[in-house]
Amino acid sequence: MIEIIETGPFNTVQDLGRPGYRDIGVSASGAMDPLAVRIGNSLLGNDEGAAVLEIQTFPFCLRFDRRAVFIVSGSDGAPLLDGIEKLSWCAHHAEAGQVLELRQPPKLARAYVCIAGGLDIAPVMGSRSTSLRGGFGGHAGRPLQKGDRIAIGDDASLLAVPPSGLAVVEPLVALADVFPQSTDGAVLVRALPAGEHGLFAEDGAAFWNQTWRISARSDRTGYRLSGDPIMPTDVVEMRSHGVVPGVIQVPPGGEPIVQMSDANTAGGYPKIAGVIECDLWRLGQARIGSRLRFVRSTHAQARAVEQAVARYIEDVKVTSGMVKRALKAFA
Amino acid sequence: MTSIDLTDPQTIAFLTDALTTAGVDGVEISGPSGTLRIIMSAEEKVSHAAPAPSPALSIKAPMAGIFCPPRPGSSEVPADLPRTVAAGQALGFLRLGPVLLPLAAPKAGLLTRQFVEAGALVGFGDTLFQIEPQS
Amino acid sequence: MIATPNKHVPRHQIVPLGQNRARISSIGARSFLLEAPGDFDLASQRRIWALSQTLKGWADLAEIIPGMTNLLAIFRETPEEPEQIIDRLCAAWDAAQSIDLSGKTIEIPVHYGGEFAVDLAALCDLSGLTDQEVIRLHHQGTYRVFALGSAPGFGYLHGLDPRLYMPRKTVPSLKMEKGCVTIGGMQTGVAMLTGPNGWNSIGFAELQMFDPLSPMPAMMAPGDTVRFVPERIEL
Repeated sequence: MIEIIETGPFNTVQDLGRPGYRDIGVSASGAMDPLAVRIGNSLLGNDEGAAVLEIQTFPFCLRFDRRAVFIVSGSDGAPLLDGIEKLSWCAHHAEAGQVLELRQPPKLARAYVCIAGGLDIAPVMGSRSTSLRGGFGGHAGRPLQKGDRIAIGDDASLLAVPPSGLAVVEPLVALADVFPQSTDGAVLVRALPAGEHGLFAEDGAAFWNQTWRISARSDRTGYRLSGDPIMPTDVVEMRSHGVVPGVIQVPPGGEPIVQMSDANTAGGYPKIAGVIECDLWRLGQARIGSRLRFVRSTHAQARAVEQAVARYIEDVKVTSGMVKRALKAFA
Repeated sequence: MTSIDLTDPQTIAFLTDALTTAGVDGVEISGPSGTLRIIMSAEEKVSHAAPAPSPALSIKAPMAGIFCPPRPGSSEVPADLPRTVAAGQALGFLRLGPVLLPLAAPKAGLLTRQFVEAGALVGFGDTLFQIEPQS
Repeated sequence: MIATPNKHVPRHQIVPLGQNRARISSIGARSFLLEAPGDFDLASQRRIWALSQTLKGWADLAEIIPGMTNLLAIFRETPEEPEQIIDRLCAAWDAAQSIDLSGKTIEIPVHYGGEFAVDLAALCDLSGLTDQEVIRLHHQGTYRVFALGSAPGFGYLHGLDPRLYMPRKTVPSLKMEKGCVTIGGMQTGVAMLTGPNGWNSIGFAELQMFDPLSPMPAMMAPGDTVRFVPERIEL
């Protein structure tokens, strides 16, 4: 078991989501930074979609009531175990009674607490992620509260994490060529033009060329962007259609909304573009107030990014298993 | 099941180092190739218990890898030697592809020496750091 | 609502809507939206249902989300040749014959008027009808579930009497109760969640229509017939 000792609002149990039910109106949900979840779980030897805690409001504290191996992935900054700084993106051993504390990360938005064995929660519609709108899944279908106790699953991995821990070269470093950084600190997010792109004058130049700011009215459902409004040259009446996270809609006010993990399953605002899936985690780690620019991309580029990410994850799985096997003899 | 060669002198040397740093009296391992028993000598133990001067501890590479004193991607510049380190503190890493094996200080003490350049490929058992333990 | 494709946009990004051609665009790299040409009517939707049946046989599809005379096809992988996907979807649309789904009939007891019918008066003003006429027209209709979406189990119902058409609110109600019987444009439906809602409420239904723990979580399915039964009228 782990016990939540302190938490802010809207921290939830998440996994890689429940796609496949959008045709009955159920949002996929799932982690805002799925890459951090896949890497954290892979390093622990968990299934990469094991349930984890998504922490987006700080400080957050939990107590382990038994020995466990955990990793805090996703954000920058160091977690504290019994007050002692530990490396992030690193699997550590915790003893029964030890307290893990997460403080506000210096730059990024969301930290993930992954535990060997995963969180032992009954899946609902194929996933353990919390559906905040639907009020089901995760822990009691709601955000975490102080005093919540959550069971840890059996650690099926036969290979132990060494006592001094096992870390990973984090995605932004390992994949620095794949996820370019801007020189001015704005997050670069690749997107493809979507259905109503042509309705915006000059190829939507005002959309692609400006630096947007993530407004305070942003959450797991979607990010509202502030900047110079962009207006379609024609007003169109759209019929409701299915949407996926990453769709960038332009409501009448002209300030775009990017749908995120808890995206509504249907929409009717004009769509100017759609973020490529592999870049969504960068938005998931962008805080309210941060600046971003959209970079026009192609299907071919999206494929290249997906392949690079898949290779990295596979490499983490294979190499961490190899290192654990090599060290097992001396443990 | 990974098999280790208990007759390999390198393995025995490594285990002995590990036991020394762990402050354990000894160990007995049984495997297909026989039984290995390592007993730490009394002198070794006494010297650990002695208040001063403490013997220097060597931190050796537990396997082959690329030696990374600061974590890859970290902008942190390691402080000059000698410097004090806490027990369990990561002194550096061995990098194997995307995986990093932290090299933890076995005891609190003074980190006096670093034997290998950053980015060097090190082999199993190579000495990487030296610490003078502080009680 | 025909979007004129910009001349700089490559063909694979937007296929224009022709006389009988579907319009295809992408959302991100592996989702493709097909929009049927023509009116928002049962005939177009029947063809979307047919397309949906065809697409269920495509092994490279992850999800099929029928909408209102449109369909979002989510592929398992980002296609190497998006042009081929467009061509396959166009061919499937051209081949799709109108089918009628033999759905079930769902009767939903409604408490018309009362505290939850917050927009009934506005609808009377807009339509020039009395509240009794509005209610009669609403419960005498026979509706078809065109598609589900927006909220878990929420069915978009087609078949509303044109005299009851009422645009969605420009500023949504911040907290509309789950169960409100609502009108949005040419459609009607029952709110599945309590929360912000831009549709106009004229009554309330107690019926539970979504259970996440059931093997069939949503009561409604595309093609079902829905009737509203006045259980109580409070004016």
